[in-house]
Amino acid sequence: MKSLNRREFMKGAAGAAAALTVLPRSRTYGANDKVIVGVMGLGGRGTFLAEKFAERPDAEIAYLCDPNTRRFARVREAVEEAQNRRPKMVQDFRKILDDREVDVLINATPDHWHGLGTIMACQAGKDVYVEKPMAHNVWEGRKMVEAARKYKRVVQVGMQSRSAPYVKKAKDYIQSGKMGDIYIVRVFNMMQHAKQRPSPTQPVPEGFDYELWCGPAPKMPYNPSRRWLNQFAYSCGPIAGDAVHQLDLARYLIDDIPYPKTVAHAGGVLSLTDGRDAPDTQLATFEYGPLTLMMEAALWTPYMKKTPGNIRESDRFPNWPFSSTKVEVLGTKGFMYFGRHGGGWEAYDAQGELVRSEYGRQADKEHQDNFIDCIRARKKPTSDVEIGHLTVLLCHMANISYRVGNQRLEFDPKTETFTNCKEANQYLKRTYREPWVVPENV
Amino acid sequence: MVSRRILFFIGIALICCRCAFASWLDISNVNIRQEPTELAGPKTIIEYDMNEPNITPENPAYVFVRYSQGAGKSWRLVPMDSLRGNGFDIVEKPGHKQIIWWGTTQTSFADLDQVKIRVRAIPMARIPAGEFVMKSLPGAGRDESKEMEFDTDLPLFYMAKYETTIAMYVDYLNEMSKDEAGWNRRMSNSDRCGIAYDDNHTYQVQPGRGSYPITYISWYDAVNFLQWCGLRLPTEAEWEKALRGGLFLDGDQAKKKPNPMPERRFPWGDASPDAEGVFRCNFDGEDDGFAYTAPVGSFQKFNSPYDICDLAGNVGEWTLDWYSTSYHVGLDGFRLVRGGSWMAVPAACDAITGATQLPLKESSIMGFRGVRGSRQSH
Repeated sequence: MKSLNRREFMKGAAGAAAALTVLPRSRTYGANDKVIVGVMGLGGRGTFLAEKFAERPDAEIAYLCDPNTRRFARVREAVEEAQNRRPKMVQDFRKILDDREVDVLINATPDHWHGLGTIMACQAGKDVYVEKPMAHNVWEGRKMVEAARKYKRVVQVGMQSRSAPYVKKAKDYIQSGKMGDIYIVRVFNMMQHAKQRPSPTQPVPEGFDYELWCGPAPKMPYNPSRRWLNQFAYSCGPIAGDAVHQLDLARYLIDDIPYPKTVAHAGGVLSLTDGRDAPDTQLATFEYGPLTLMMEAALWTPYMKKTPGNIRESDRFPNWPFSSTKVEVLGTKGFMYFGRHGGGWEAYDAQGELVRSEYGRQADKEHQDNFIDCIRARKKPTSDVEIGHLTVLLCHMANISYRVGNQRLEFDPKTETFTNCKEANQYLKRTYREPWVVPENV
Repeated sequence: MVSRRILFFIGIALICCRCAFASWLDISNVNIRQEPTELAGPKTIIEYDMNEPNITPENPAYVFVRYSQGAGKSWRLVPMDSLRGNGFDIVEKPGHKQIIWWGTTQTSFADLDQVKIRVRAIPMARIPAGEFVMKSLPGAGRDESKEMEFDTDLPLFYMAKYETTIAMYVDYLNEMSKDEAGWNRRMSNSDRCGIAYDDNHTYQVQPGRGSYPITYISWYDAVNFLQWCGLRLPTEAEWEKALRGGLFLDGDQAKKKPNPMPERRFPWGDASPDAEGVFRCNFDGEDDGFAYTAPVGSFQKFNSPYDICDLAGNVGEWTLDWYSTSYHVGLDGFRLVRGGSWMAVPAACDAITGATQLPLKESSIMGFRGVRGSRQSH
């Protein structure tokens, strides 16, 4: 990072994304050609993805990137064990974008880097695998879609549950009409978080490019006890960061219904009062006309747990009443429990009798397979950027309703703005910190 | 008339050189006999010579005894509370030692000639009771949200001076592992580990690799090895105190030896591991003399205040502490690894950097060392 001539790179540019003018490559892949990958963000998820892509015979990791060099060793070791090539370790992701050998950027950064990192990668001619929640704000999500389309890039969002075969079977069952008309879908997301422990501001540790880590977000004094996940400046909030999976599954099950007409939110920071601004309790109702989607989420419910690991990869169902990540589908003729993480699903008839069930498995590999296939075939992937945008939009709408005092908000799908609350519209787009600005024209 | 029956002892080859420790401490002249007592049944007496001249109260040996009744098919650790004498657990001086084992009758020895007994010793460092400065960096590995307060006033404990070596681990495997438990194919990597498993179902240290730290070891296998010894993994707090030293290096009872740098970044002080062209530990690259792991104790001039080797660099070290967020509930909890490694940047070899790993992870940059002492709540 220090040697990357950042000033030269940015010279004459209105914003970071505008600086890139590299034309997209149109590489033709042979049967044995490997997709060359750079990974941006080496936390838990980035490390997992780097290792999984390194293990693939059709992919190779060329770069591992994180502003914090202390993160390097763990992931580099895992990648070197999985492939013959030694990856380059860099702090600045623009080194990846500058390398024409690289085909793909995996963006596993904190939320505030998802948008700009993806847009700059599209501009540089890279296909992108971006982690969820796809965008930090509504406007940014739309710009990501525009960039992907303009530069003809494959952008897969890390909402991997969509790729699971059992999910497709559930959708087919619902779409068959056996459950009647679907009027209510309930999404749950209960987690167990603890309060942040306050501690004094600290000097930025050696080997950590904090300026780059902050990127488009405000550069607050460095304080590692303040979790980025709990601050809207860097995040969509811890609930959005996880509930987005179930919201996406719910959207998928009801045939990717696009935009809700309204959102109404209740809740706030009720339990974990520790200086965070992202809520720990969120009850959101989305009206789609005849269908209502509801989200019930909290961070302080020890009795509701995610699907245990031994169920995720076996022919077993979660303990539904205490499943913290279930989706409930309510039709006029039937009811469905649906589990994330390979939890499977069970459908009941109007008399409460079990009539159909499917066990499930997690689908990380299938999702990655789909991404690689689409890169080669130049097709839209399973969790295409537009799907990612319309799903994370629900998280943003709920958050914005909360931020304007839990008002019921009406949404115009054509403009992607609220029509009954000017104050709400100020939260559709963030203030970007120079030079890390997403331009209007991507 | 006391019947003195000589059992037999299986000696363990030891090599102790000046710069690199290979396996167990040198023990010789082991003599094991049994004597009846008037009322309490027979007692077994184990005598040996502790040859390591540098054994002191500050750098003692941890001595443990294992026995087998089944012609070496199965082995057990002799419980410390059934032993008496001056030659077991923490041994603070070299010389002739005696262990009296009162619990022999509980083992149902049918034929004493069939019993095998092994005595092994590990060099340790004494970390006296007292306060220290805990400065782990939340967010660089630890879960900053977890509701645990680290105890910065730890009681006395002892920590292994060296990371567990390949030679020690091979000895353990050959005694314990008949079904490849604790071994994995990656360990045969002669650059990054160095254990061969042959057709006779025995494990061999690859030539020249005995003094290198064991790697590709899961958290569970590390715990199993240490339970075999009667030790345990250090907590994060213990690990950090061992690196940095307490406020008083002779402990809070004596308080005669204040720590000149109680907030030091590295075992030797604050200088970067490669400052001024001096290489103080094994980190990323070959400039320090090692492309991969280094023999344990290769940087003894840069030991911790308690004379513990390689807390910085070489291999990261498993700790007892867990890392958990709601994202991982339902899965096995992450464990914390401390100390940087041969693949880490110099800054990451400091006192505060940690990394999270799933306990089943087997990595060429992770090893472990043992601790003797009561575990603290934290």
